[in-house]
Amino acid sequence: MKTVAYREVEAMTTGWWMLMGALAAFTSLGLLAAFYMEHNGHWVTGMTNQIVWGLPHVFAVFLIVAASGALNVASISSVFGRTAYKPLAPLSALLAVSLLAGGLTVLLLDLGRPDRLMVAMTKYNFRSIFAWNVILYSGFFGIVVVYMWTMMDRRMKSFSKPAGFAAFAWRLILTTGTGSIFGFLVARTPYDSAVMAPMFIAMSFSFGLAVFILVVFASSEMTNRPLGDALVRRLKNLLGVFIAAVLYFVTVQQLTGLYVAEKRDAVVFLLTNGGIFTVLFWMVQIGLGALLPLALLFAPPTAMNRPAIGLAAILVILGGIAQVYVIIIGGQAYPMPLFPGFEVTSSFFDGQVNTYVPSGPEAFLGVSGFAVAMLLVAFASTVFRFLPESLADEVVDPHCVAKARK
Amino acid sequence: MTSLPTPTANAKKLGLVIDLDLCVGCHACAVACKEWNSGGHMAPLTDLEPYGRDPDGVWFNRIHTFEAGADDQHLGCGTSRTTHFPKSCLHCETPECVTVCPTGASYKRAEDGIVLVNEDLCIGCKLCSWACPYGAREFDSDVGVMKKCTLCIDRIYNKNLEEVDRVPACVMVCPVSARHFGDLGDPNSNVSTLVRERDGYDLMPEMGYKPVNKYLPPRPKKVMPVAIEGGRRELEVSNDNALLNWVDRLLSR
Repeated sequence: MKTVAYREVEAMTTGWWMLMGALAAFTSLGLLAAFYMEHNGHWVTGMTNQIVWGLPHVFAVFLIVAASGALNVASISSVFGRTAYKPLAPLSALLAVSLLAGGLTVLLLDLGRPDRLMVAMTKYNFRSIFAWNVILYSGFFGIVVVYMWTMMDRRMKSFSKPAGFAAFAWRLILTTGTGSIFGFLVARTPYDSAVMAPMFIAMSFSFGLAVFILVVFASSEMTNRPLGDALVRRLKNLLGVFIAAVLYFVTVQQLTGLYVAEKRDAVVFLLTNGGIFTVLFWMVQIGLGALLPLALLFAPPTAMNRPAIGLAAILVILGGIAQVYVIIIGGQAYPMPLFPGFEVTSSFFDGQVNTYVPSGPEAFLGVSGFAVAMLLVAFASTVFRFLPESLADEVVDPHCVAKARK
Repeated sequence: MTSLPTPTANAKKLGLVIDLDLCVGCHACAVACKEWNSGGHMAPLTDLEPYGRDPDGVWFNRIHTFEAGADDQHLGCGTSRTTHFPKSCLHCETPECVTVCPTGASYKRAEDGIVLVNEDLCIGCKLCSWACPYGAREFDSDVGVMKKCTLCIDRIYNKNLEEVDRVPACVMVCPVSARHFGDLGDPNSNVSTLVRERDGYDLMPEMGYKPVNKYLPPRPKKVMPVAIEGGRRELEVSNDNALLNWVDRLLSR
């Protein structure tokens, strides 16, 4: 493999201003939405005492899960020694920390008291899975930043592999922690499952890689840098494997639920008569978010078609957001079984399927998480050398390089 | 780091005992709770647009209602009854809401077992309301923190009140005295005696959180004679008392 040269994104061009302006506008909208919700209180949102986590949490969890998965390419390069991915390893790490920053921004601004960030950072109840996640997120930032340093500073190159191993292990633990927030929820029938942690790891691989593919496509297109078919083929095949892995875990999760008497009604609710949640599950999560992308990625007419691969990645992201929506909102909508076997009435909506209508500010805040992440990626790529000058086959693909030598 | 107090043999466990046989579902406890805690300073229950089209606010006390016994074909429809089930925080011995709280804002007092929220430490992440299997937590969307039943801690230790008034507002107001307050850690207290004598039980004991609050089940209902399909039916009344049997026969002629 040739020595890979990296170059900053050229700043102050028309395209650069347009991109930064659009991302800054979305970020500002999110901040305004957060200010509006903070100023008036959460009662102006769609969240209630039954649906306590709403759309911003859906975006936040999606981004945090995707952050871990965005590190895939760097991990494959450092931990598993696949040289073809090495040129993209710094971008992979940058995207990982940026997505995490975007997700945590949304999560923080959606708290009842976002002004108490210092309390969250300094007071820990070590029995709380949430507190563990605060530590895991902070640790992820630290480890990945060090990992980036070892990749980008020639003097630190020898530490790159151990740093890569540490980041790989940490991201697995991080996603296990995120999945376990839901897996440990014994009180709620749709959760309380050990499969949540591995399913979230599979989800992170899939969502993170989908975002990564789009970023690679967009950056090579916008900065006119070559991108070879060999790398695209590897990435899209990998995405296909990860989509299949998510499908496998979703199947296991639902079948396990059907097998457990206590959970059967909740699973039947989701799969057959859960209204919007059933539609989102079958149509968006499974149909548009998994089966259609698999067809686009592997059907011969579209398998190596870049717009089709890009579309598949977009669909995986949409399906992923739908999946997190079904997990978070759908799980809360299902009534808590206080008196199993009885038809219960009360003046406080207990015992009935809860409704949730997301408000505009919640949507703006959620989407702004993506904007924050992309703004960080664009800014860092402008200031530092994260993007390789070329990702052509003869630069990155070991088979192509070997063939050329012969 | 916040952890649950170490359980000790004679630890005080303040809580409520609610008699489901007496509760008529009048909601007086919920209203009294709202009234006291809206006026008090310990846990003001926010009202949002109370006179608007869509009033909203925080309530600690909820009354659930369900029918029981209506499907029992052998006993007939006369055995069915409506059960009103008031529910607030049950002040569990091993509360999950305390365990999951990332900052330790939720805590259980070692001295009396009351579960409280330190509102200065609460960041409003709402995970405790996910974790509580009884749905007893209420997010105050105006203040941005989680709130819950305090067992009227500002009443029960309030020396400015007459001793007889040092009970939670919901207990004070109950018109049929279905609610009792006391130390369930003391086997000789009035509440412990009630639980022992009336087979008091926990709500969802299978969850393992050991709620301190107990419920006294409805007393068995007397089987009432049932007229079936319009025909006159000889009532089967079993009575071992010979005198009463003779009176019964005499009056049945």
